[in-house]
Amino acid sequence: MARALVVVLGLVLGILTGTGLVLGNPLAWFRGLPPLPADLAPAKAYRWDNYRGIEGGVADLLGLGRRNPGIALLDPALPHVRIGIVVLPAGEGAPAALAVKVSAIAEDNSLWRAQLGTHDYWSIVWPGEGSVFANAYSNYWAVARDAFFAGIVGGDRDLMAPSYAVTAPPPLGEPAGVTGASGRYAGFTGEIRELLYLAPLNSERDQPDWAIAIKANPPPVETR
Amino acid sequence: MKRLFTIAFVVGLLAVVLAATLWPLPQHLRYRSITSVPADGGRQEEFVIHWPEDRIARPGENASSLPAAAAVGAAVLEDSAGRRVSAELFRLRDTEDNVIGVAGRLAGTGGAIADPGRSATNWLLVIPGRGALFLAQSDVQDTTVREGIAAEGSLALPPAQAAAFWTDRPRIRITAPAPAGDGAATTGKVLRGTSEFAGLRGSFIETWDLEEVNADGSTRGRILLSTITVGDN
Repeated sequence: MARALVVVLGLVLGILTGTGLVLGNPLAWFRGLPPLPADLAPAKAYRWDNYRGIEGGVADLLGLGRRNPGIALLDPALPHVRIGIVVLPAGEGAPAALAVKVSAIAEDNSLWRAQLGTHDYWSIVWPGEGSVFANAYSNYWAVARDAFFAGIVGGDRDLMAPSYAVTAPPPLGEPAGVTGASGRYAGFTGEIRELLYLAPLNSERDQPDWAIAIKANPPPVETR
Repeated sequence: MKRLFTIAFVVGLLAVVLAATLWPLPQHLRYRSITSVPADGGRQEEFVIHWPEDRIARPGENASSLPAAAAVGAAVLEDSAGRRVSAELFRLRDTEDNVIGVAGRLAGTGGAIADPGRSATNWLLVIPGRGALFLAQSDVQDTTVREGIAAEGSLALPPAQAAAFWTDRPRIRITAPAPAGDGAATTGKVLRGTSEFAGLRGSFIETWDLEEVNADGSTRGRILLSTITVGDN
């Protein structure tokens, strides 16, 4: 009995230590994707509760998430996708906007490179003003890491930050950013950042809140 | 005992290392891309959407409880000046009828977006195993979804879903054939792509085909997005 307890204890401690090492592995410092600064432009808070597809938590990113039949997309090509309509509030001189956001789990995720994220795609239209497309890579590695360490010490949420800047450089270095499509924003190019706000403890909401910041500039003026 | 603990500890550690290395992270199912090369060059690919069955209902929406002309998976935003924006969610198919991705159609009217009586549309096509395409166009007419009020609440009323839209034509090209008006209009453009579509630009044409008018006044049909792209040098 004592031998079995020792084996179980050794295994559990080995697994916890190993998981801690993977989540805090030194390679992540050199090959990880640090979040980009989120202060490019004022962030607009939004909710993305009304979606279809994956919930988007760490379990989904690892392929362990349960599929909710009322929400999941059941087509064989869509089990790792989330899509929804988002309303971005008015403010900072801009009217409210209607948007479609799609997230697809990144196939280039790697646990050893601290990459656990989604490729996100936006189409946004401001009534009467114009429209833009945007794409970015969101890395939830820091959220997963902090949740793990908070879980080890009994679910202490103080170990987790209230918000995470999730936008990071795409793993394969492919282009990301904002492309103006129509109206006043046609031809604009720029950058996008997203923030994730965890639902407060004991809150009635189980979904996180989000914020998006977009900074776009007009095309350069051509001189004759 | 100490040796047993150490062995168990190392086994646990190695199990995590192995799991982190070999864990099968999610991959997307990818269908063979069905492309062709037009005579004058480029890369042609067509995407298909069937309405109403390819509309992606939002949670809690039930198409069977809606009036015939109303749709699920759509939203409308209108400002005090009557400038309207609508969003619709769809499954996206290839020409062999496989669901290969999802699509968002955002159309807007008024102001700097479109000439009077017309709308401009943005298509966001996301094919998870391949990347995304961003398409923008001016429409030949106003194709935004209207908002109606019923006892159940507000309804989204897409024009193509009502039989009255199709008075004497089974097919309509939605993409404006040429720029018009004050210069805000544009023909169908593939603005940019990501992943497999990175570096591609080109043109596209959106066409709606009526397939059936139902007894209740609703319709079934097909949206065809025909793209021609070339590498961005």
